Amino acid sequence: MTHAALVLEASTGYDERLLISRAKQGDRQAAKVLYDAHARRVHRLVFRICGDEEMARDLTQDTFVRIFQKLSTFRGDAAFSTWVHRIAVSVALNAIRKERRLKRTSEDLDVANELPAAPHTVEPDLRARLASAIAALPESCRVSVILHDIEGYTHVEIGQMLGIAEGTSKARLFDARTRLRKALSEFAKELER
Amino acid sequence: MSEERFNEMMHDAARTYRVPPEPDFEAMWLQVEREVFAEREARVLRFRSPSWQLFAAGIAAALVIGVGLGRLTSGATGDAPAAAVAVAPRTDSVTSMTRNGYDRAATELLGKTAVLLTTLPTEAQTVQGNIRFSTQALELLTTTRLLLDSPAATDGRFRELLEDLELVLAQVASLRPARAQGEIELITDALEERDMVPRIRSAVARLSSGDD
Repeated sequence: MTHAALVLEASTGYDERLLISRAKQGDRQAAKVLYDAHARRVHRLVFRICGDEEMARDLTQDTFVRIFQKLSTFRGDAAFSTWVHRIAVSVALNAIRKERRLKRTSEDLDVANELPAAPHTVEPDLRARLASAIAALPESCRVSVILHDIEGYTHVEIGQMLGIAEGTSKARLFDARTRLRKALSEFAKELER
Repeated sequence: MSEERFNEMMHDAARTYRVPPEPDFEAMWLQVEREVFAEREARVLRFRSPSWQLFAAGIAAALVIGVGLGRLTSGATGDAPAAAVAVAPRTDSVTSMTRNGYDRAATELLGKTAVLLTTLPTEAQTVQGNIRFSTQALELLTTTRLLLDSPAATDGRFRELLEDLELVLAQVASLRPARAQGEIELITDALEERDMVPRIRSAVARLSSGDD
């Protein structure tokens, strides 16, 4: 079977258990196929969380190093992709906390507040303002928005990833959306025209 | 703002919010592969490395020859005092052979390390070069640790050199392609500060002349 076919199998979930089992035994090719199937989404996820290109590369690598080092502990209770993304989120959040890049968050908020209203170019401005407002959310709210509204995970999956109850995930998303609406309120009239 | 409009915006954000540039996934994989599998294999290599086997085989051969000579001498004379006399030259022989084996391994290590460190700044910039250097450094690191742990490592100055080498090799072994430029500069600075290459050369000269 070709490498491309193996990647396709892994991305569709078919025979992924076999690949995981082989990777646990130190099979590099199986590990590479799993990497190819998940690396893009992991990279996109950590980039959306941290917003820094170089950091996202490092975090993606760190995530996969951790995945393969801990693979023996994966029992298959949750989907492999959920387990992978849980590690990615954990690695990203730990790194952000460690490097204290929260300063950037407050800077983003300042930028968002300074954006001028421009009636004839509402859409690009609105998009930029929304992006800044998401970046400026408190960490738990930001991660909820990114995982649910942007990455499309369900509350059950988010609960598994973050180790929280489904209801907590819903509550955080509600809080995040309320904050985003507030941040965007200056544009409300423009939007309703 | 209406719920519908807000949902539209969030839907749009799913496509447009922080879309990452395409990184070099293959280079990233090489780094992951090295960290996960190369280190796992290096642990195994510590017990299988040819230099360790050679060293152990040298000691075993010396012991066999020494014991054989002792028994031969003991059998020829047939009395206890003669056997006791045979013990002294046997011990000397073992010590001498161990010393020679150690010196040879040390000279080889220092030679390879000197080549690695002098070519590092120019040849480790590419991803492939980077991987090659860090893999080689990992192997040299294993040998360095074996030499440090050997009972023949009695010279304080030489031990100090090996300990410094261990630190530098560890830095080279953990090079990351994405940060290679900055890390190589740090390593080069450390080499100059610690006067590493001249110290390696002078240690090789001492080992060759048998002063060590």
